[in-house]
Amino acid sequence: MENFSINDIFATKGIEYLVIIAFLAILIPFWVVLNKQVKITKQIQNALGILTANILRIPQGLFYSKNHTWIHLEKSGVANLGLDDLLQHLTGEVKFSNLINPGEIINKGDLLAKIEHNSKLLKIFSPISGKILKTNSMLNESPEMLNEDPYGKGWIYKIKPSNWIAETNSCFFAEDATNWATKELEKVKDFLIMSMGKHSHEPSMLTLQDGGELRNNTLSELPNEVWQDFQKEFLNHT
Amino acid sequence: MNNNVNISDRGSKSLIRFVISELKPRGKIFTPFNIISGLIILLSLVILVIRFAKGLGSVADASQLHPWGLWISFNVITGVAFAGGAYVLTFMVYILNMKKYHSIVRMTVLWGFLAYSFYAGALILDLGRPWNIINPIIGNSFGLSSVLFLVAWHFILYIIAQFIEFSPAIAEWLEAKRLRKILVSLTIGTVIFGITLSVLHQSGLGALFMMAKAKIHPLWYSEFLPILFLISSIFAGLSIIIVVGSICQKVFKNQLKSDYGDSYKNIVFGFAKICAVAMFVYLFLRLLVLIHSQQWALINTHIGYWFLLEILGFVLVPFIFFIYGFKHRSMLLIHIASIMTIIGIILNRLNVSMIAYLWNDPLAHYPTWMEIVVSVSVILAQIWIFRWIIYRMPILRKSPDWVPEDEEK
Amino acid sequence: MSINRRDFIKTIGIAGVTLTVGNELLAAPKKEEKEIEFSGILIDTTLCIGCRTCEHVCAETNGLPDTSDEETGSNRQPTEKQLCVINTFNVDGNEIFVKKQCMHCNQPACATGCLTKAMKKTDEGPVIWTANKCMGCRFCMINCPFDIPKFEYHSPNPKIQKCKMCFERLKEGKKPACVENCPAEAAIFGKRRDLIEIAKARIYAEPDKYYHHIYGENEVGGTGVLYLASVPFEKLGFKTNLGATPYPEYSKEFLYAVPVIFTVLPALLLGMHSASKSENNKIEKEESYE
Repeated sequence: MENFSINDIFATKGIEYLVIIAFLAILIPFWVVLNKQVKITKQIQNALGILTANILRIPQGLFYSKNHTWIHLEKSGVANLGLDDLLQHLTGEVKFSNLINPGEIINKGDLLAKIEHNSKLLKIFSPISGKILKTNSMLNESPEMLNEDPYGKGWIYKIKPSNWIAETNSCFFAEDATNWATKELEKVKDFLIMSMGKHSHEPSMLTLQDGGELRNNTLSELPNEVWQDFQKEFLNHT
Repeated sequence: MNNNVNISDRGSKSLIRFVISELKPRGKIFTPFNIISGLIILLSLVILVIRFAKGLGSVADASQLHPWGLWISFNVITGVAFAGGAYVLTFMVYILNMKKYHSIVRMTVLWGFLAYSFYAGALILDLGRPWNIINPIIGNSFGLSSVLFLVAWHFILYIIAQFIEFSPAIAEWLEAKRLRKILVSLTIGTVIFGITLSVLHQSGLGALFMMAKAKIHPLWYSEFLPILFLISSIFAGLSIIIVVGSICQKVFKNQLKSDYGDSYKNIVFGFAKICAVAMFVYLFLRLLVLIHSQQWALINTHIGYWFLLEILGFVLVPFIFFIYGFKHRSMLLIHIASIMTIIGIILNRLNVSMIAYLWNDPLAHYPTWMEIVVSVSVILAQIWIFRWIIYRMPILRKSPDWVPEDEEK
Repeated sequence: MSINRRDFIKTIGIAGVTLTVGNELLAAPKKEEKEIEFSGILIDTTLCIGCRTCEHVCAETNGLPDTSDEETGSNRQPTEKQLCVINTFNVDGNEIFVKKQCMHCNQPACATGCLTKAMKKTDEGPVIWTANKCMGCRFCMINCPFDIPKFEYHSPNPKIQKCKMCFERLKEGKKPACVENCPAEAAIFGKRRDLIEIAKARIYAEPDKYYHHIYGENEVGGTGVLYLASVPFEKLGFKTNLGATPYPEYSKEFLYAVPVIFTVLPALLLGMHSASKSENNKIEKEESYE
């Protein structure tokens, strides 16, 4: 009853203050966790990662062709073939399509596969000749494997080479590969500036952040004309 | 058609001809959606004729103890929460200059404008003596002490503000260059005005129930109801925009630029993060309110379990989904979270205005099928107009060429 | 920059208008001693014999159908056709009759919530409804703690029906119909101040006969209709948990905040807009130097 017994309208204030302290305490870690970058390089659209030679993966025991494919001969005599890390850093996540079926014979320089992003595509040509033994079915289900593990699970073909020694002569190996990759990056920068001038795009749309380094997934938002130019400049070496 | 003609040069005759030609439907007329929604709208028109001829009681189950039925509880109190995307988005784009969200502003403002217009219309349908609605407007008798007076006025002013924000698109459609310039210069003023109005009337909807203290269940009633309604309108509005935007992406895909998909994904991820933070705050607020009311013992009742379902099932769970979806960039998870949030908001608003309102009244109020038909057709009519405008005006697609580059939406 | 100036003027204009109008909401008007005081009705349930004459004459005076041959019960409410009803309660073997109608609160929730001023607290005391202003929003029904206003849902020209304390008759110097025709004088009419004195005197004179509380003296800030009873009021269907706070106070905080938000928020938003715009301009200028 009113006015006849104690009525404390602030009875719960103590608990409320405790809840507020808890809220503030949880808010900071909550905010931090929310903003922490996802380590997987899968969807890096918002990440303004800087593409320099330091972050490229270049395992030293593999042969790298000028067309940005790698090959590795295993003890069994079968070679694995795939795309190198620099290429996938440039394109970002792509859709991959095999063009050769197991059992077919290919020659060096044949069209092996296509990678595609939003109806922009790049053709991949073969660095060696041989007989295709297997294609990687896992790539159909998880195309991001090309980006995450290009040298491991992201292999494209298993091939039995017919002329290994002669054809890998023109490939890069070990330290040469690292030097070549560094030079390629510089070449990509020049290429983009020139391409920019050619197709008159806004400079801001492009790439150059602090220090003039490239943005990750450089090509992914650039238009088809730039992709065609890139094909001619970087992937069509014979 | 002349692309460089000013609206004054065009002349009024050709303008009328232009508008009439635009009234023709585009695309197939007899799609399943059109047929079903058309029938529902026609049915509701019949119901409305009966309602006005014979009185509200002939179509609605409004009783003396439950005066507000579905049209107010659902279309007005819940629907307006969902139109909250407009003020959140204009705040982000025009005040905070977050350019990332620019491409979706027009669609959001259009949706908000149509929502308020249609739901204000739904409110008029519910009025017993609608011919007197002119009284609080023209100053015949201002009931200044009433929260409803404030809400009503804000609705009117806000509809005008949103129309002005949206009007550059109309000017672009009518090819009126000078008009467009004038309208664009008004944008920032109307945005500021609109955000202020929104803050007040979103919380005002909560304040409407302040005097119903004895009738709303203590787990829902509190003096903080206005703040809770305001915060929940933030994530309600954004969730609806995620859903509506994704549907628009599918339906109108031939209007969109080829990289719209990428930028839209980024926008959705951004929304997910904002919703997560807003829901975090909201959950803590509800906890504080619960403690403050000293009514936590009531959770151990049947209606207490319903309360827990609303908060834990349809606020906490989508909150977690939003965080997970944002961190792992999963569009699917974010869409599921949005839909669950929408259900949660509907539950909350219906609880406060209908379900927890006189919850122990044995003559509980169940809406009649006629009320439901009219409620649904208000939303369907809104969608029809929305679609009509998107097909014809530059909402989702690029502005016409004569619009200067830096002003392009 | 022309845009900023325009917005500045607009903001100041809006702020100025709000402050002018807002003052009406904030400042409590200084009232001189008003000559007219509230009238009220005192209903002494210990005297009521349940004859229901009040129901008859109420219907007659207001032009409503006479439904008083209906059975009386303990949960009857006033309806859109019956503005006052008698309820019967059986307490400890005794039959107690209680007349139920609009309480004509000192600070009525219905009138505060009415956005067209159709519901109005008159200076004389009764809370009345005027048809030519009402738009039928039924907000008054939501607000009333006693659930009194009733709406004519089945009429295309619906009215809100509730007891008006026979306001027309009061203007002619007569008493409300129910009071004038009560054979047991259970209901008496007078100035509210006097009625409270009378009620207190009755309790003091016969302390065993009455429950020591005047219902309506302080409930929801005081009502124009007061009740005396011989048993606690909960047993007679009265709501006793309404508190003494006048109902308009519950929406006071929100309404008081409105002018403040209207002045502070636009200025704040304008400031944020300028700040973020100048940040962007700075960044763009830096980029163009590269």
